[in-house]
Amino acid sequence: MESLGELFTYFLQNLINALQRGSFYAVISIGYSMVYGVLMLFNFAHGDIFMVGTYIGFGIATLLLAAFASILPGWTIFIGTVVITMFLASWIGVFVEVAGYRPLRSAPRASAAITGLMIGIIFETGILIMLGAKRLSFPPLMESVTYNIGGVFLTNVKVMIIIISLLLMIALQFFIQKTKWGMAMRAMSYDFLAVPLMGVSINIIAPLTFAIGAGLASVSGILYGQAYPILDPYMGVIIGWKAFVAAILGGRGSIKGAALAGYLLGFIEIFVATIFPSTLRDLIAYSIILLILTYRPRGFFGMEHSTKLRL
Amino acid sequence: MRKVICLLAAVLVLALMFSGSAYSARKKIIRIGVNAPLTGDIPKVGEGSKYAAMMWLEDIEKAGGLEVGGKKYEVELIIEDNESKAESAVKANTKMITQDDVLAIVGPQSSKQAVPAGEVANKYKTVMISPWSTNPNTTLDRPFVFRGCFLDPFQGPVVANFITEEFGFTKAAVLYDVASDYPKGLAEVFKAAWEKKHGAGSVVAYESFTTKDTDFSSQLTKIVKSGAQVLFTPQYYNEVPLIVQQAKDLGWQGPIVGSDSWGSAETVELCGEACYGLFFSSHYAAAGAKGATKAFIDRYADTYGYIPDDVAALTWDALRLVQKAIQDAGDYTGRVEKDRKAVKDALAQIKNFAGITGNMTFTAEGDPIKCAVIVKINDQGEYEFYKSSCP
Amino acid sequence: MELARKFKEMFSTVPMIGWLLGILVGVLIEFYWGYDYISYYLGLPKIPVLFGALIMLKEPLMIPGAIGYDLIVYVIPVFLVARVTTFATNPLATFLEKLPLIVSVLIHLVFFYFILHLWSGINDYRELVVRLTMVSIILTISINVINGYQGEFSCSHPGFMAIGAYVSSILTLLLFTNDKIFGEALLPAYLGPWFFPIALVLGGFAAAIGSLLVAIPSFKTRGDYLAIISLAFMFIVKSAVENLNAIGGARGMGGQGEFAPLWVIFIWTILAIWIIHNFVTSILGKALNAVRDDEAASESMTVKTRKTKMTAFMFGAFWAGVAGGLFAHVLAYINPGMFGINRLAEILAMVYFGGLNSIIGSIVGAVSINVLGEALRPLELFKWIIIPLILIFVMIFRPYGLISFKEFNVKRMLRAKSKREQGA
Repeated sequence: MESLGELFTYFLQNLINALQRGSFYAVISIGYSMVYGVLMLFNFAHGDIFMVGTYIGFGIATLLLAAFASILPGWTIFIGTVVITMFLASWIGVFVEVAGYRPLRSAPRASAAITGLMIGIIFETGILIMLGAKRLSFPPLMESVTYNIGGVFLTNVKVMIIIISLLLMIALQFFIQKTKWGMAMRAMSYDFLAVPLMGVSINIIAPLTFAIGAGLASVSGILYGQAYPILDPYMGVIIGWKAFVAAILGGRGSIKGAALAGYLLGFIEIFVATIFPSTLRDLIAYSIILLILTYRPRGFFGMEHSTKLRL
Repeated sequence: MRKVICLLAAVLVLALMFSGSAYSARKKIIRIGVNAPLTGDIPKVGEGSKYAAMMWLEDIEKAGGLEVGGKKYEVELIIEDNESKAESAVKANTKMITQDDVLAIVGPQSSKQAVPAGEVANKYKTVMISPWSTNPNTTLDRPFVFRGCFLDPFQGPVVANFITEEFGFTKAAVLYDVASDYPKGLAEVFKAAWEKKHGAGSVVAYESFTTKDTDFSSQLTKIVKSGAQVLFTPQYYNEVPLIVQQAKDLGWQGPIVGSDSWGSAETVELCGEACYGLFFSSHYAAAGAKGATKAFIDRYADTYGYIPDDVAALTWDALRLVQKAIQDAGDYTGRVEKDRKAVKDALAQIKNFAGITGNMTFTAEGDPIKCAVIVKINDQGEYEFYKSSCP
Repeated sequence: MELARKFKEMFSTVPMIGWLLGILVGVLIEFYWGYDYISYYLGLPKIPVLFGALIMLKEPLMIPGAIGYDLIVYVIPVFLVARVTTFATNPLATFLEKLPLIVSVLIHLVFFYFILHLWSGINDYRELVVRLTMVSIILTISINVINGYQGEFSCSHPGFMAIGAYVSSILTLLLFTNDKIFGEALLPAYLGPWFFPIALVLGGFAAAIGSLLVAIPSFKTRGDYLAIISLAFMFIVKSAVENLNAIGGARGMGGQGEFAPLWVIFIWTILAIWIIHNFVTSILGKALNAVRDDEAASESMTVKTRKTKMTAFMFGAFWAGVAGGLFAHVLAYINPGMFGINRLAEILAMVYFGGLNSIIGSIVGAVSINVLGEALRPLELFKWIIIPLILIFVMIFRPYGLISFKEFNVKRMLRAKSKREQGA
């Protein structure tokens, strides 16, 4: 029989594992949720935007490391990578909006979803054609140090991922709640027919939403590259679908909900595998999601008026 | 109306004029099919197969064609993508056999495509050699299907014996992909072999994940907690670096041992120093190779810029086996059904074929009797021969 | 434009049976002279299998040859014969019109099958493509019931397909095949083809029962939330099968008997089209549209929304299960990995490409995606740039899919066409 203390460290260890995994899902699904809230569209390309963002991050990090590694301290390179990548990746988001979603704004939502899916496939194949079948290894932007705190193993990378993800979410919340642009976005998600009449152009708000989503995804991609440093063109597929699950589980357009659902997804994944035999992980994890939605048919923070959706 | 007819006639005349240039198309050509995963989960495997095949073709072309029974024939390679999907592999095989009239097929590489594709090849009585598929079902009851490597039921005990002899451990953990054919099969075989040696319950943790997962922390936490001395993970090269790194981050100190799916140059490239000193079982070891093996490795590295994976080496061997079988068959008639049968009979007769991945003789099932190699990743990140184990 | 209009007018008098006759002549030409003469003199290595697309993309030098082949074998004979024989085919069509509709349809179908059989018999690869395409047609129509007529965004179709595939495979393997999983066959093999339809139907029923897991939450949960439930369902099925080692787990199940030749699949496809067409044009089918457009309003107009939703899901799932069973027996191998995200993307692409709320649209969607997927094979990687681009353009220019909200009328399709009628 194990002692209670051992069980507790075991629990703590898994809690940290789950926080790390959940952070990725949370940040990525926020981007999903914003598009979903403002335009009511499934952005099936989001997973692949994340993938492209990670590749951009890889390129920038490699360049910066090659040029400045000897001159500048590590954290400046990290920040430089994040800023440049965010800037470049947001243009990918804008591109997807303008090329794939704008022509379909009055079309059925499902058609736009299919377009997104197809743009995603083009991104995957494009990367495969450009870079070949070789997988890439994301360069570490900081020296990984492992701490052993009473049997719980922590690395500085893990701590950094958890903290930066939280900071990103707080910053976004601030942006949405306090700035004019954020207010326009919120208004748009209430009524995308009336708000444009008030002088807020959807042709500005929509690309902005995509840009922010893509920027967040790319930062998440850099962090992802630190935690799981293997890049391949299909890496975004499964993450994209999981973000889709989290975004909707959180409730339509609710950023808080998406973040919460993202963490929940991480927790379910880790703890189901911990408690049950890990072969049954997917089976049990998705059954839980199915049950949650059966009993909370509008997700966590879904609004009542979203029952009637055009499809 | 008249315009339409004129247009049609013009196109037709043009077509007839131009097609004259390709008039001699229907001569006796030897066509060999390659069924490889160029897109999908494991594009690197597809690339390795394709490059090895292209190198082989280059050799043939340099010699002015393939000499069969005193006459030289032009050889054409048909490389089809199976998208790493079973149904696509079936379609590709059917297409190559019935449309392109290939004499023999090399591939598919992974078992999940080789098992259903083998069914097609056998049905149409066409020789198929899967260079890399280690699942027994690929060749079982299929006289026309061969393979170029050893089987899972052989590899599993080899690894189990090696760990026992090398480290003297009694408690092992296994981490594998439950949704993928190859890792799952090998994990089961290893578990059975290990428990036969050390008694029931000696595999203290038997954990799994699903294809494309990147986070193994909960499984590894369980494994660390279980008190296992060694971790066996028969995973592909894209997962190995993640598993190794995450295990270290979670306080794992024991050795990690792998299987032939580690044998890609990318494993070390992606994993870096974390993987130095680890062992895995494989078909051949690139570092310190001699003779023909070394020549192949050097040439491949010169042309494509990296050390070839075991897949490339095995594909090369499979193609050379096909070549030898075609030459042994003696007479190329151009009647494809007859030639295919002759190639199959010749292939089954081959004894002690000196391949770059070892000597091969086929059993009645079409499986080669081959040695497995235990490879150590040395401190330069090369795959070094450590030990070999023969049946 | 003027030319195209004239062209169209010229062939407007050709009835369906005339077109079929024309195609028959084309296929016969290919059958008798395709290999030995026509493709030989055009410098082609063999009969081009998919209208020469494979050859053209691989060797640009062959393009004129392949086009010439298509012209000689298909285009010219088909149009010529169809036009020239109108004097005979129109009276024939008039005669057929007088027969009961079902007889006339059957005659056309048998004729069509004969042509298809001849055409695909030339090459086994062609036949495999035709068989898989027909399975896709059933699949696409069945998802159209849920995603089109009933208006949900259901992602569970690969799951339904997997259930059907596994149940019917287990039955046929257990009863008629000596295999590694279930051992000796329990019944003599000659009963197999007779029992196969029962196995398929049972597979379909199993899928229909499985669909309740999605249908029941759909009473309360709608739209996007239901999409997640259905997606979860798909993953649950996949993971469950992976964990069932008794049926092969991730290794999959192989060696299904050859119970699904072309004619069997053809009959099932026609059955699916006919039954689903009747279903969606029935009162219940109209109720589906009503529930899609406004649930509350239809409830107040005495539509039983729960029953309607449940029926739609179970009905769609049933046919997906049948399609799964056929799929398993065409490939003679299944594994759970086949019924994942990739399959979902493919099915969604087919149904939205073809068009919602339209059976003919679904047929067009399934055929075009399948044929494109095969014809662009030589492009290797670029295939996955071209196909998505085509889909995006279709979505942009025809947001509801190629042919949507349109039903075909069999009677009108088959009737005789004369000049007089055109003027009217």
